[in-house]
Amino acid sequence: MIRFPLMKELGAIVGIVVFFILFSVLSDRFLSMDNLASIFTMASELGIVAIGITLLMISGEFDLSVGSVYAVVPMAMAILINKGQPDVIALIISLLLGASLGLLNGIVTLKTGIPSFITTLGTMMFWRGILLAVTGGFPIMLERNSRVLNIFGGSIAGGLRYSGVWFIILAIVFWIILERTRYGNWVFATGGNLGAAKALGIPTDRVKIVNFIISSLLAGLAGITTFGRFKIVDPTLGQGMELEAIASAVIGGTLLSGGFGSVLGTFIGAFMIGMVRSGLVLAGAPAYWYRAFIGVILIVAAIINARIRKKVAG
Amino acid sequence: MRRVLIFLMVVLAVFGFSKYTFYLVSHGGPADPFWAVVMKGLKDAGEKYGVETVYLGPEKYSLKEFIDLVNSAIARKPDGLIVTITNPVALDEPLRKAIKMGIPVVAINVPDTRPPEEAIPYLVYVGMDEYLAGVYAARRMLQEFTPKRAVIAIHEPGHAGLEARAKGIMDVLSEKNIPVEKLDITTDPTKALSIMKSYLMKHPDTDAIFTLGPLGAHPAIQLVEEEGLKGKVKIGAIDLTTKIIEAIKDGTVLFTIDQQQYLQGYLPVVFLYLYKEYGLIPHEKVLTGPSIVDKSNVDVVEKTVREGYR
Repeated sequence: MIRFPLMKELGAIVGIVVFFILFSVLSDRFLSMDNLASIFTMASELGIVAIGITLLMISGEFDLSVGSVYAVVPMAMAILINKGQPDVIALIISLLLGASLGLLNGIVTLKTGIPSFITTLGTMMFWRGILLAVTGGFPIMLERNSRVLNIFGGSIAGGLRYSGVWFIILAIVFWIILERTRYGNWVFATGGNLGAAKALGIPTDRVKIVNFIISSLLAGLAGITTFGRFKIVDPTLGQGMELEAIASAVIGGTLLSGGFGSVLGTFIGAFMIGMVRSGLVLAGAPAYWYRAFIGVILIVAAIINARIRKKVAG
Repeated sequence: MRRVLIFLMVVLAVFGFSKYTFYLVSHGGPADPFWAVVMKGLKDAGEKYGVETVYLGPEKYSLKEFIDLVNSAIARKPDGLIVTITNPVALDEPLRKAIKMGIPVVAINVPDTRPPEEAIPYLVYVGMDEYLAGVYAARRMLQEFTPKRAVIAIHEPGHAGLEARAKGIMDVLSEKNIPVEKLDITTDPTKALSIMKSYLMKHPDTDAIFTLGPLGAHPAIQLVEEEGLKGKVKIGAIDLTTKIIEAIKDGTVLFTIDQQQYLQGYLPVVFLYLYKEYGLIPHEKVLTGPSIVDKSNVDVVEKTVREGYR
């Protein structure tokens, strides 16, 4: 396949430019630094989750449990800190927990052969249930200040926050991994044509398991950025996030069936969802229409992306 | 273990010295802190009036299990049944049967919202009125000042209880010609904060934010703190959490609305006792809320929360 620069992301780029111009015209406050920073913050947490999802989707698997992991990991951290553990220990343990939840998804899916859609649907419900049972349905508040949490959810300047920095760094790192390393090639090959990938000697099971771990780990990290800002974890945190993360990836050009996708596209997709939310409020659109609007964008983006893909692939 | 406990309680009720046995069946499990307060009310009243009380509720929300529990409570022919009308249609048949059997039924927490001629003919409802919660929230805000513009942050549009609260607020403010609208903030705190922030940019004259639950109040508090809006934008909340109590103490939140659910466990026992003894019963509904918590009573409320009364 001939690789045009930014071809995969073209749909998302066109979309974001159109909305950017549209909202700038509709509201004079849209272009303010304050607003753009606010949109970027909103996009960051979703985007970090969506990067992991993108990797996993390219390798041909799904993860619906990210929304629950997004809440379980910071909840574990909150409980550990409140119990008197040092911040760094609490951070490491809870991130390890996140990674092991991903490992569990991967092992169950690959060892039993059931679709990851089902495995992670199950773990999504299971971890949410555990969360509700442990907290009794009530939010957990951080009982003391934590400097470690500040580098996840604190503010830098001009309305920008550390979550945004994490988002940019992670997007660059995973873009490089996906586009410039042998592992990246393996990911595309595993999702594109599993049989051929296996025949070539690619350890497809290991690739998938690693991606399950990355997906959970990033979801947990994103949850910690939210926790770092609000210092409180509601047991409903992250509900519905899995679908929005998948939407970001799809708007960014990633295929549901695997083998095709882009971290940069997902980055733009997540930013676009945040931008539309904020833009519609600023344009004074009636509040109950936001969700409907995002639904339309998702479908239009998927259609445009499919067209582009056909042109590229011939 | 729980079955054994319930069995023991039933045995105690039958062979014990208590005159009456009242069952409370709710859709909320005993692990839920909200219902733990109701359970305490039930237990306290039972001890005071010398009646046996049994609390039944599914561990995790499940309509089927809840209905099963209602049926098993009825099968034991208690002297009184206290029940949440979580789903009037599903409860219609078992409760009408219970009433026919001569078991006095008291509704708590959620009433039968159907028109009176269709509703289950229970004796009385003890609980909060969601619409009134909104009305009182708006009135309390008006007592403080007349907002130039108000926004209602709704985290689950379409949720019947939240929509009723929102309508109560809107009806009162619209009467005073104060511009007010609902804002879909989603249940995600980051999105909620950014959406509210965008709204304040669009309408800088907004000086009152109403939140309909903790998922709205927590990000609203964060927004006011991060943007240094304390004093400029006032928050009126509904529901009680530690974070909301703290925010009332430091002035970020003006007030919140509480439904005093302890009374939803306590009062039905009193009413059923009086009904069994003398045939006395209050009429239609007894409202346990909306009760307003603000700076004037927050310390007392905080203390009673710790003691399990709220």
